[in-house]
Amino acid sequence: MRQPGIYSGMLSGLSGKTGPHSLPLARIKKIMKKSGDDVKMISGEAPIVFSKACELFIEELTRRSWMMTMQGKRRTLQKDDVASAVAATDIFDFLVNLVTEPLNGDEDAPGGTDIIEH
Amino acid sequence: MVDEQEKLLPIANVGRIMKLILPPSAKISKEAKQTIQECASEFISFVTGEASDKCHKENRKTVNGDDICWALSSLGFDDYAEAIVRYLHKYREHESERANYKQQTSKARNVTGRHDHEDKAEGDDDDDDEEGLCHTDSQRGKGTTSTCRRHPAPLEFRIIDRNETSPS
Repeated sequence: MRQPGIYSGMLSGLSGKTGPHSLPLARIKKIMKKSGDDVKMISGEAPIVFSKACELFIEELTRRSWMMTMQGKRRTLQKDDVASAVAATDIFDFLVNLVTEPLNGDEDAPGGTDIIEH
Repeated sequence: MVDEQEKLLPIANVGRIMKLILPPSAKISKEAKQTIQECASEFISFVTGEASDKCHKENRKTVNGDDICWALSSLGFDDYAEAIVRYLHKYREHESERANYKQQTSKARNVTGRHDHEDKAEGDDDDDDEEGLCHTDSQRGKGTTSTCRRHPAPLEFRIIDRNETSPS
């Protein structure tokens, strides 16, 4: 586990609602390591920086997706809204293949409806 | 299956962040949450790759916070980079103060009684405000000193701050 300082909660904008860091640092580090063979050593700060960056990223992607939902006069954010948001945003170009990839149908019921949860 | 999950951030955390942005009445489909979960991982890989390339070119082995900031900027996420530079600065400041604080409190253990504030009983708070030291409601540990600057963000831990510069 990390030093207590990181858990003090002072740094996270969402502290008090989601805890000191909204995303688990160990998992972030794992994802970083898997990103490439030449990623060998990662400083202690890097996952902390990413926990904030991912928060901002998720917030922005959610916000933009929700705008698409509202344009469609709906109240449920769907996967297609995320795809539309990605297509409409230049800096999200790296996600285009990810969001428009057709599902294999192995995990989801073929032609099934989304499970709505809130 | 388990391997796949390890490459993703926990969906509960992702969902929580999403809900904070959306109006209370909004609903999120499970598929949408999963999609954003995957996008977040892709984001991490994408930015890490860029940061790692930079380190490689500069013959450095360790990817640090500054590299991530640089990569964010380089890939068009300037807003994030700005916010994170500040975040990183606060974090580093906080870390060094924590180290100072530990030093100070271990020093203070050797101090017997008060030196600066014998004539000020409970009125120390006024002093603190004038000096622009950080707010603390702690009255404990009189006689300890700590150098402390004004903190824009509220701190969870207590810093015992007393005027260090007045002659005893």
